[in-house]
Amino acid sequence: MIEFENVGLRYGDGPEVLKDVSFSIEPGSFHFLTGPSGSGKTSLLRLLLLSLKPSSGTMSMFGEDITNLKRERLLELRRHIGIVFQEFRLLEHLSTFENVALPLRVLGQSEENYKDNVTELLEWVGLGDRMHAKPALLSGGEKQRAAIARAVIARPEILLADEPTGNVDPALSERLLHLFAELNRMGTTIIVATHELNMLKKFDYPCLQLTENGELNYG
Amino acid sequence: MVELKQQHSKPTPIVPEKSVSGRTLMLLIAIMTFLCAVTLGGVILIQKSALAWSQDVGREVTIQISPVEGELMDANLRLAETIAEATKGVANARALSIEESEDLLKPWLGEGLDLTELNIPRLIIVRLSDPANADLETLENELKIIKGASLDRHDVWRTQLNSMAGTIVFSGVLGLVLIILATLLATVFATRGAMATNREIVDVLHFIGASNRFVAKEFQGRFLKIGFRGALIGAIFALIFFVLMGALSSNILPNSSSEQVSILFGTFSLGIIGIFWILMLVPIIAGLTAFTSRMTVRRFLSQIAW
Ligand SMILES: Nc1ncnc2c1ncn2[C@@H]1O[C@H](COP(=O)(O)OP(=O)(O)OP(=O)(O)O)[C@@H](O)[C@H]1O
Ligand SMILES: [Mg+2]
Repeated sequence: MIEFENVGLRYGDGPEVLKDVSFSIEPGSFHFLTGPSGSGKTSLLRLLLLSLKPSSGTMSMFGEDITNLKRERLLELRRHIGIVFQEFRLLEHLSTFENVALPLRVLGQSEENYKDNVTELLEWVGLGDRMHAKPALLSGGEKQRAAIARAVIARPEILLADEPTGNVDPALSERLLHLFAELNRMGTTIIVATHELNMLKKFDYPCLQLTENGELNYG
Repeated sequence: MVELKQQHSKPTPIVPEKSVSGRTLMLLIAIMTFLCAVTLGGVILIQKSALAWSQDVGREVTIQISPVEGELMDANLRLAETIAEATKGVANARALSIEESEDLLKPWLGEGLDLTELNIPRLIIVRLSDPANADLETLENELKIIKGASLDRHDVWRTQLNSMAGTIVFSGVLGLVLIILATLLATVFATRGAMATNREIVDVLHFIGASNRFVAKEFQGRFLKIGFRGALIGAIFALIFFVLMGALSSNILPNSSSEQVSILFGTFSLGIIGIFWILMLVPIIAGLTAFTSRMTVRRFLSQIAW
């Protein structure tokens, strides 16, 4: 489903952030992505979101070589990817409900069609009573859950999550990971970037480890 | 009931309704539409007045008889009157008496002049009952039997009037085009500004897989609304302006100057056609604004790197 071969990445003409990264990810798997701050976790997730192009090497997703991908096709592929940003990136002028519904709106569905789905998901992540609040009024943990709900509402094939437990207490962060595990059981391929090592111990999933200088270890 | 309302309430627009640049642009479009409407209204008024003038003037022609040695002026005047009145489309013909001619010339030549001593041309005013079908060719031909007679159809004057009106209409239309062009340029800047301000929204939409078409549509919808509202406000103010000017010219100005103004501007009455065209500016300007912003959005989106 995801193939990286000797992928290198640099921003502009800066230093190489990712060096010679090779790995492959099977559909339906669950991976953690770890590494010290600044090692390139977010950068790797951005490659997977197709929002950055590798500076060298080849990568393919959904069986398509992405180096020669047309932009419109790329935007189409993104509809099969859900992303939870480290900074959430919820739209401030939309309510929690509307933020979560956004991917469905982009797919052209009408509110009547998605209303029940979105409400159900919001209740499942414990935001049932915060549905009509704007992000500014949400706590860090609530925003996090809203961001996760937005990432999964359209049932993506791949879910990318960047530090999705960074803002919540250990109990909630465990609940969120159980949520991911649940989605994974239903068939979603999941990659979670985190530097919470105790999470890695609790959940027995394989781990992609980035080193300080941007190399990748499988382990 | 509440539940129902909730379900059918429209979703919040993805591009925020109340962005500052939106309001500024709306004001700008309102002002530009106002200017367009006033220019257009002015052009329509002038064209209408010119047409009316030209018709008034066209209702009369003048026969002029210059004194010629050996000709009897009075007999020639009678003859010319008879010829004129026998012509198709003429209501009546009347020679101005010497006194009337004196009155006409008094302002120019001063009191107490005696025209009997001067050999000045005499005039016959021919009023037409049917200007369109009056047979002025025949009249002109038949007048040739009178020495010194000539027919003045006021053609020169009418041609001048028409070319003047034409010039004003042309300048007005040019002004209109320039104002609209300026509005569109402002729209380009405002759209770019809005795209930059809302860059986060554009990015997030892209990250969740929105196509360029979807994003463009969201922005275009916003600008169509802004353009429509701005243009409507401008057009309404312009109509109010014309109504006020009409009232002003007929009520507040003293009678004589009001008459002059109404001679000039046909009592500021735009007529149904004038109002129609001013209102037509609203969809035209709104549409052009939306189209321009769509093009700008497309360019902006196509420039976003991979
Ligand atoms: N847009 C950018 N332009 C230039 N350099 C960047 C950009 N984004 C990240 N970097 C650099 O790339 C390196 C990797 O950054 P990245 O955000 O991928 O790390 P990270 O592993 O996600 O860190 P953290 O755990 O703190 O989130 C850093 O040295 C950072 O300074
Ligand atoms: Mg990061």
